[in-house]
Amino acid sequence: MKLLVLMLKNVRRNILRTILTSLGTIILVFVVTLVWSVLEFLDAATTEKSQNLKCIVTERWQIPSQMPFSYSKALEQFAWHGPNDEQPLDNMMTWQFYGGTIDPTKRTFDSVLFAIGLEPRKMFTMMDELDSLPPREKAELKAIADRMTEQRNGIIVGPGRLKLLKKQIGDTVKVTSFNYRGIDLEFEIMGTFPASVSRYDLSAAMNRDYLNNAMDAWARTNNKPHAMANKNMNLAWFRYPDREMFEQRADEIMNSVDFKDVPIKCETASSGISAFLEAYRDLLWGMRWLLCPAILFTLSLVIANAISISVRERQKELAVMKVLGFLPGQILILVLGEALALGILCGVVSSGGTFILVNKVFGGVAFPIAFFGAFNISPNALWWGPAVGGMTAFIGSFLPAWSARTVKVSEVFSKVT
Amino acid sequence: MEPPLTIQDQLVAVTIGLVTLIGILAVIARVPLIYNVRNLMVRWRITLLTAMAFMMVVGLLVVMLAFVNGMYRLTESSGRPDNLIILGQGTQDEVFSSLGFTDVDSIETVAGIARDSENRPLVSKETYVIVNQPVVAPQKGRPRRRFLQMRGVQIPEISGEVHDVNLQGDWFSQAGVRQAAETDKDQSTLIEAVLGEGIARTLGSDRTPEQVANAKNRDRLDVGDEFTCGDRRWIVVGIMKSMGKSFDSEIWAKRELVGRMFGKETYTTMVVRGENRAEAARLVNYFGSEWGKASLQPMLETTYFNNLNGTNQQFLIAIIIVAVIMSIGGVFGVMNTMFAAISQRIKDIGVMRLLGFDRSQILISFLLESMLLAVVGGGIGCLLGSLSDGWTANSIVGSGQGGGKSVVLRVTVDWAIIMYGMLFSLIMGAIGGLLPALSAMRLKLLETLR
Repeated sequence: MKLLVLMLKNVRRNILRTILTSLGTIILVFVVTLVWSVLEFLDAATTEKSQNLKCIVTERWQIPSQMPFSYSKALEQFAWHGPNDEQPLDNMMTWQFYGGTIDPTKRTFDSVLFAIGLEPRKMFTMMDELDSLPPREKAELKAIADRMTEQRNGIIVGPGRLKLLKKQIGDTVKVTSFNYRGIDLEFEIMGTFPASVSRYDLSAAMNRDYLNNAMDAWARTNNKPHAMANKNMNLAWFRYPDREMFEQRADEIMNSVDFKDVPIKCETASSGISAFLEAYRDLLWGMRWLLCPAILFTLSLVIANAISISVRERQKELAVMKVLGFLPGQILILVLGEALALGILCGVVSSGGTFILVNKVFGGVAFPIAFFGAFNISPNALWWGPAVGGMTAFIGSFLPAWSARTVKVSEVFSKVT
Repeated sequence: MEPPLTIQDQLVAVTIGLVTLIGILAVIARVPLIYNVRNLMVRWRITLLTAMAFMMVVGLLVVMLAFVNGMYRLTESSGRPDNLIILGQGTQDEVFSSLGFTDVDSIETVAGIARDSENRPLVSKETYVIVNQPVVAPQKGRPRRRFLQMRGVQIPEISGEVHDVNLQGDWFSQAGVRQAAETDKDQSTLIEAVLGEGIARTLGSDRTPEQVANAKNRDRLDVGDEFTCGDRRWIVVGIMKSMGKSFDSEIWAKRELVGRMFGKETYTTMVVRGENRAEAARLVNYFGSEWGKASLQPMLETTYFNNLNGTNQQFLIAIIIVAVIMSIGGVFGVMNTMFAAISQRIKDIGVMRLLGFDRSQILISFLLESMLLAVVGGGIGCLLGSLSDGWTANSIVGSGQGGGKSVVLRVTVDWAIIMYGMLFSLIMGAIGGLLPALSAMRLKLLETLR
């Protein structure tokens, strides 16, 4: 107890140094928290699951995948019917990508609207993170999905995209398409994706029937099918309870005669995402094995520097403590304890602050990589911060603490004038 | 007229200017620089720790900037100013482009297009697809599929000339296929392909240790080697020596075969060589507004590759943010060191004042000490960071609006990056040393001697 009180007193002794070291620690832990959150998210997205796994059906060879929409009916037979399904085929969903600009005269990143054509009610049963929303947010999303089902020109837009478009809920937008040429659609913005789900920040979702009906209308007007008529389904998602069922159904899908015109493949979502992230392999490697260790090392140096200065200034005091009967081990613990207290406390403040600031205030940190636009701070950051702060403090302060432990009373007092 | 200074030139000028200013300050202010140097050496442990913090931050910055520099160089060197690239209306990326055969069938007849030695128009008609291919023997924890960038070209010799390809081996034949050797048990037809060196290395890594041991080239696939793509056997007939260009990651084959196999029966891209730059610019206008057969999206090839700098800019911004945040952390470390240095030398400061040094000289003295630390630490950081020069890395270049090309780039450290590193280090040193130096300057003479 006496040691603990001494530790805390020592931390308060040189307020300026404590503040500078704390700020350095807080800032460096902040960077580590950001980087690890991105890496953890990508690791989770690419880790193969054994249960409750999602799989993607896409065109076998080509990227971007383009299949006939008629495949969706044939694919339904391979969906799993769960015991708690609220509607038929709760565990299957199709995606049709519709992209365009709200300003055809000047196409910029800010004016682009990229929407996923789907069955609106599947948003909260099949879409990652939207399928696990808290009840209140789920109810809000469900209400929007119900409206989009009734009124087919409804669209739900990510908060980031809505801001870029300079639009708000209730506005209408006319989209000039660049992938469905000649099919320009007018939408009513009915809502936004929940702010807590950052991955759809720049995306939008629309009722697929609106697009399909527009294509039918185009064909009637022009007396020929649209150029995208047999290429208007991009993905189909399935959810299966376990790997065994996935492998069985994937096998059936791949060998089905229904899909011979445009060959398709079936793979787990994590496998598909892994392939997309392969181009970023070296960048992610650099973040994991160069950036993070370098930050941790710098953090250790900052702490080692502060503790070294502190020990150097307190040589006489440490010698007096030894004279008073403090054991070398106690002095070691005293110095280490100061550093650990500071490191852990700063870690808590940094990671906790980052978690609240990024997730609650900014709605995620923008780092566009593959098809992920923004990342939230992982809840695990709440223990990463203190762990990183404590660990680097321990490493950084061990040598100075050891030198404090080995202070020789006779040498110190021989220098006193 | 003199060309304007590039950013690199300006950077070199700023850094040299800053270093000169420091030197001038040291001379004019008659600061006892040797006193500062000796102090750093006496407290060598603290000096070392602080310099190492500079070293880590600056070293990392240099590596990260060299990576982005490699990406910029790749996009810059992939296009020619007298080439124009024609895509389908409304598309910025080849992968989403579609050009009907009738839309561009007489493009070669347009005046202003350069011709080769056999008087053939230098127009490369291409179909670009990204193939999602299972990896032959996926390693644990690595993806089971990879994206292969396939470019089907009509007349390979012309495409090679348009794109300045340096070929080792041969182009594929008129048929684009050949029969397997008589000794081969599997008598299927092989598709002939020309590979960029980068993708040849990637596909070469799929080989078993036995295959590598017996291979003509152990680092990558070489002429005569086979690989699988789209359920077919392919044979390498040539290697594009195109390191540092986007074609380094591509597989080229007969256009008709590529289109048929992967469901893209139209052209995606036309690359046209103008007789000169002015003609190329004129042709861009012509195909954009006067070509009557279809709406096209023509642009200079350099513009096209500039547009692929979107991801580079995103990475650059992320790097700058990370580096600045890291440097703020480092600055606090420097401040600690300098405040400690001042608190230990309060009496020295008093003596210096008695000897006739004024407050501004004290300020400059401590500021220079901090910047000296920055120069040493930053210099070592730059040296360590420059070891990354020449590394190869996988990345992606794109407009930042989806799509993009997977590329193998060469991490490139140049003088501009070293200057950035040193400038960054000096700024860190100046900011970290300023407050402590100000506090040293403001010390009262009597207090210092008490």
